[in-house]
Amino acid sequence: MNTAELKPQEGIYLDNNATTAIDPQVAEAMLPYLYTYFGNASSQHNFGVPVEKAIARAREQVAAFIGAEHPDEIIFTSCATESDNTALWSALWAQKDKDEIITTPVEHPAIMQTCDFLSSRGVKVHYLKVDDKGRLDPEEMVRLINEKTALCSVMWANNETGDVYPVPELAALAHERGVMFHTDAVQAVAKLPINLKETAIDMLSFSGHKIHAPKGIGVLYVRRGTRFVPFMKGGHQERGRRAGTENVPYIVGLGVACELAQQRLSDIEGRVRALRDKLQQGILARIPECFVTGDTEHRTDNTLNVAFKFVEGEAILLYLNEYGIAASSGSACSSESLEPSHVMKAMGVPFSAAHGTIRFSLSRFTTEQEVDKTLEVLPGIIKTLRELSPFWKEGKPAISGLDHDFDADSTEVRA
Amino acid sequence: MWDYSDKVKDHFLHPRNARVIEDANAVGDVGSIICGDALRLMLKIDPKTDLIEDAAFQTYGCGSAIASSSALTEMIKGKTLQEASKITNQQIVDYLGGLPPEKMHCSVMGREALDAAIANYHGQSYSQSHDDGELICHCFGVGINKIKKAIWENHLTTVEEVTNYTKAGGGCGSCRMRIEEIIDEVWEDLEKCGVPRPGHVPTPIPMKMVSAQKAQEAVAAVSAEETQSSPIYKEVVKLLEEINTGLKMDGAGVDLSAIKGAQVSVILTGAASRGMMKDMTVNFIQKKLSEGTGRQIELNATVRAEG
Repeated sequence: MNTAELKPQEGIYLDNNATTAIDPQVAEAMLPYLYTYFGNASSQHNFGVPVEKAIARAREQVAAFIGAEHPDEIIFTSCATESDNTALWSALWAQKDKDEIITTPVEHPAIMQTCDFLSSRGVKVHYLKVDDKGRLDPEEMVRLINEKTALCSVMWANNETGDVYPVPELAALAHERGVMFHTDAVQAVAKLPINLKETAIDMLSFSGHKIHAPKGIGVLYVRRGTRFVPFMKGGHQERGRRAGTENVPYIVGLGVACELAQQRLSDIEGRVRALRDKLQQGILARIPECFVTGDTEHRTDNTLNVAFKFVEGEAILLYLNEYGIAASSGSACSSESLEPSHVMKAMGVPFSAAHGTIRFSLSRFTTEQEVDKTLEVLPGIIKTLRELSPFWKEGKPAISGLDHDFDADSTEVRA
Repeated sequence: MWDYSDKVKDHFLHPRNARVIEDANAVGDVGSIICGDALRLMLKIDPKTDLIEDAAFQTYGCGSAIASSSALTEMIKGKTLQEASKITNQQIVDYLGGLPPEKMHCSVMGREALDAAIANYHGQSYSQSHDDGELICHCFGVGINKIKKAIWENHLTTVEEVTNYTKAGGGCGSCRMRIEEIIDEVWEDLEKCGVPRPGHVPTPIPMKMVSAQKAQEAVAAVSAEETQSSPIYKEVVKLLEEINTGLKMDGAGVDLSAIKGAQVSVILTGAASRGMMKDMTVNFIQKKLSEGTGRQIELNATVRAEG
């Protein structure tokens, strides 16, 4: 395969909370570490030295990006899921006298599933309540903290709704009470300014592939002085905190991606936010019976989650795909599970709408034409599907003499 | 995204008969908004001939639910009620060129809507035709009759398949044990009808005693495998060979019997198996093996019965 012939895949990609396109500058920076500098950073000879330096440079770039005080607070991992697992595991093993975790019901599965496992092994997990917009009450966290609390873990931004949680405030509250604080910041980095040295956050996880670096590289930030037990045991890499030979090309790529993300943050806060707002206003103006889920006051600038009533999300996605538009859905049918998204359920979004939620997530590569094209085709798609839906009765003749009718507010459960 | 066949995509993007038949005389409603899909099948049946003159649908659901509904209307139009009632969910699947396993419930829903429409035509009320018996899955409101029927008609053998076909067990999962029992119950009947249960090996009943010698051989085989995979196996064999060279001069010998961790079992023969010679030999072998392997070897020595 001649790589020069490769072109970006066609289509309108509005699924950047799932993964992002690799920035060509990131790919270019990685290439020397695939072709030339193959050495092991732990080696003492000339093959190892430039590699070790490259990793050190990337560590500085990442530290600068999230405002860490010291580069050695950055641990490179394989993905944010590994970082999340490590944070929970470490907090429990480093404080053997504590066995409670406080978290939220809207976390990513990397936290949710790990907490489920831990709770089946005797750890007590508390879930903070969220309201219909997904907001939580910091006071509730304070009330739940006790001498057995090992860790509070709250995501910085939600992947489905984009809701931003008051993580610096929560971290300070936990810290005042001597409790460790971790945040899954996968959806927050590159979208919000983050300056860790001004917060009390002890651990933070994020991954490369959401910020235009490749998949397979993640970061766990561990503040100096935080008690830590490694999850991966073996060699002395990452100062003994994460064993395993360093994934050098990806670490280098991540460093560059962080630097670019820092430079382009204003683009997200300005242009991308304006495009997202245009998409939101356009949808609400053109399509009846739909609403935005989550907390529109505190939301990442690239994310829009809309619930279309009386239609099902996977069907909308299939239609969008026909027009080359990629988005995602919290509906049951678009996933392996038969249940709608746990985030929508936690927020109490009614089933009639939860099955029809569509998430549009933009990036710095999204253009105005792409948003316009989406606004052009989406009203027609929703209209077509509603014409098919027995819950949508407008403009349809009624059949007389029936002893049953479909009702979108019905609580009947029947598969 | 699901990997749908071209036929499924075609029926989704260009659904046939997606409308309301105002003067329908048979209407079948299945599903609910909470479960994420619902289908209304409307038929116009000639009461004299029982011929389905027209069929149409309204469906809320995913691509395959809409495609299954569309396919169903095409399949039954122009058929008599009797002919139509023989259509199985598998025939809907075949018509569409296949469905992903997780989407089989869409075809089952189509088939159910047809049953409900026929019941409605015969004057049954909605609640009568939707009485599904004992409620098994509370998350998706699935009764025992629907589960049994799906197992019976599609020869389902696992809980996962039952979930794919009926959604039962796809929520909290607390009914999965019960579904397992239902699968066994239905297969008991299926087997009576001569359908062999695939992949089901009945618990074997031992017909005769295994001979003592065979049992010993089996134990020896397991132990031999462990011995040979031991990281010190080769060294021990070599060391014992060296020791044997010395012992032979005294008309004695040592054979390896097993290695388990740092435990080495040997069998002593000839002069080395008796009296003071035995103790000396055991101490000597243990020392040699420990030095040679770098491990603290624990030696078990037995004596071969002679004669």
